[in-house]
Amino acid sequence: MSLKTAAAIALCKGLHLTARLLHRGGTAMPGRWALKLDPALPGELARGLDILLITGTNGKTTTARICETACVDAGLDALANRSGANLLSGITTELAMNSTLGGRVNKKCAVIECDEAAARTAIGLLQPKVVLVTNLFRDQLDRYGEVTHTLENIREGLKKAPGAVLALNADDSLVSSLALDLPNRVVWYGMDRAAADPATPPPALSDALRCIRCKAAYEYDYLSYGHLGGFRCPNCGYRRHAADVAVAAPPLLGPDGSQIELSVRGERVEAAVNLPAVYNIYNAVGAIAAVTAFGVGLEHALTAVGSFRCGFGRMERFELGAAGARVMLVKNPAGCDQVLQFLSGLDGSFELALLLNDRTADGTDVSWIWDADFERLSALGERLTRVTVSGDRAWDLFLRLKYAGLDVSRIRVERDYAALTAQLAASEVPVFIMPTYTALLEFRPQLLKACGGEEFWEG
Amino acid sequence: MERSIHICHLYPDLLNLYGDRGNVLCLRRRLEWRGIGASVTEMPVGAADRLAEADLIFIGGGQDFEQQALLEDLHRGKDASLRAAVADGVAILAICGGYQMLGQYYETHDGVRCDFVGAIDLRTVGGKERMIGNYLFRCGDESGGMEVVGFENHSGRTWLGEGVKPLGRVLSGYGNNGQDGTEGVRYHNVFGTYSHGPLLPKNPALCDEILKTALERKYGKAELAPLDDSAEQNAFREIAARLRNA
Repeated sequence: MSLKTAAAIALCKGLHLTARLLHRGGTAMPGRWALKLDPALPGELARGLDILLITGTNGKTTTARICETACVDAGLDALANRSGANLLSGITTELAMNSTLGGRVNKKCAVIECDEAAARTAIGLLQPKVVLVTNLFRDQLDRYGEVTHTLENIREGLKKAPGAVLALNADDSLVSSLALDLPNRVVWYGMDRAAADPATPPPALSDALRCIRCKAAYEYDYLSYGHLGGFRCPNCGYRRHAADVAVAAPPLLGPDGSQIELSVRGERVEAAVNLPAVYNIYNAVGAIAAVTAFGVGLEHALTAVGSFRCGFGRMERFELGAAGARVMLVKNPAGCDQVLQFLSGLDGSFELALLLNDRTADGTDVSWIWDADFERLSALGERLTRVTVSGDRAWDLFLRLKYAGLDVSRIRVERDYAALTAQLAASEVPVFIMPTYTALLEFRPQLLKACGGEEFWEG
Repeated sequence: MERSIHICHLYPDLLNLYGDRGNVLCLRRRLEWRGIGASVTEMPVGAADRLAEADLIFIGGGQDFEQQALLEDLHRGKDASLRAAVADGVAILAICGGYQMLGQYYETHDGVRCDFVGAIDLRTVGGKERMIGNYLFRCGDESGGMEVVGFENHSGRTWLGEGVKPLGRVLSGYGNNGQDGTEGVRYHNVFGTYSHGPLLPKNPALCDEILKTALERKYGKAELAPLDDSAEQNAFREIAARLRNA
């Protein structure tokens, strides 16, 4: 190991300690400086480490938690970038903090969540054993550009890791196309036709309307959500690949989780998913496909799916108010639609708070809220007892709801997070909170304080 | 007499980048809230050409990936219909890619030229740097003279032909090309702009100006009843203030 590498590790550790002492969290900053000193540092640290890398637009964090839980259940001591700092800087910090000053990481394996733009460089450096790609949807166009650019970033990254096994979402025509020109072994996962709800309407907006190979319009045998489903191109024959790990029957969707029937490489098994909503079923089957390819036994994967805890705004539960609260991070139209679909499927009344910021980490363009199907909320009528809008762009949310047909007399604007917390704590009905990323960072401490919890980097 | 406006949403399947459909929703709602009938026909790629029936045409922005499929469909006759609609004074709101499309051509920064509708004397040249961010402009008097906030995200630089008027003048941000201070185009009853996403909800005066243009063409004169726009004004004011203080 070079002197430069040793110095970069020492710098990273020093900065991390300082940041913690100053209560600044410090998950990305130390790695950023260390990388300036030694750009090859992540590769040095990853040597000898079995890595499962997770990328894609939605579901990275939840999927990573399931994979990590499965590894632990199987007796593998895994490190993970749990704080959600998923750029190369955050990944580097996590590796360095688990390494000796000599660059030896004290774990055998790692579950790494990786930003889809960062995947271009991270995959080649880290040489993962397994790469899971969850899905691709339009997301933060001001930062990522078009969805096909994101796909190319991942493809370029994967070209530098021909030995990695790919766990790919078979239902996503964009993700599936990675297998078209890469030599890697692929494990496919998805929802089979038998699991799909035949009443699912085609999406109002599709991010993959036309064939990635020949640009003819896709036909669908069935739809799951967004552009996911049984796609096929009538022109060139590109179509959904049969899934090795598949949801094989209609899932039983509950308010706190789902019951699913799976076909895993031909074997029928049942599983409970520890978080509600269809998108978490995708996260579960993706994780099962990836960890079993990683060498973890299926029984551990199934245990993990039924027992994992995710936290940090991913359907995170707080003991707030008379009936509890769940926080559901929203970042883009596809993810937001999935949350809105979950809410419309609930029995009984509930209260909702929406928090929209437009800082760099949220995406500075808030236009995306107009692509999300907030019209679903106006169909709920009296069951939605109150909606409060908050955050830097609260009035944009107000307008979105007004034009979606909600009664404006029932929409409140509350910018003060302490007052908002107090209001939600007084709720008689379940509370659901949908913040964007930086709003989550700012609002979550208020919730924790109201429930007597701690900050995430101290946990 | 019962008044009504027929809106044609051209290429909603491909030109729908980031919230464009919010504009159609806004046009429709602001007609309905005033008791004016509103109907919307979506005309995706391959659909029969019904542009001649429209009182108001909306064209949004799109991704590069799908542009080829769109141009093939356009050059099968819809380009001629659009030229006729523009000449005939049909109210048209065209945004970003849809705005560029009404011009003569788009030339990539390495010189590949792509012919567009040619309804308006303007042309677009691709640049390397994207022009991204919230921006503020003031419309010309013929378009209402109001201030408008929007979000732009484009690499194309649009240049207006001689005598062609912009929609407005940039107060903060880039606009057509980041150089001459112009934003968008106002030609006959075409309102062209780079303000992508839902331009109209935060700019109700511009929305009403477009609706008035369509109603006047159809019924001779148009009085629009005032609406409670306090939430719209709040959304506008917060971003406008941020841009003025930047």
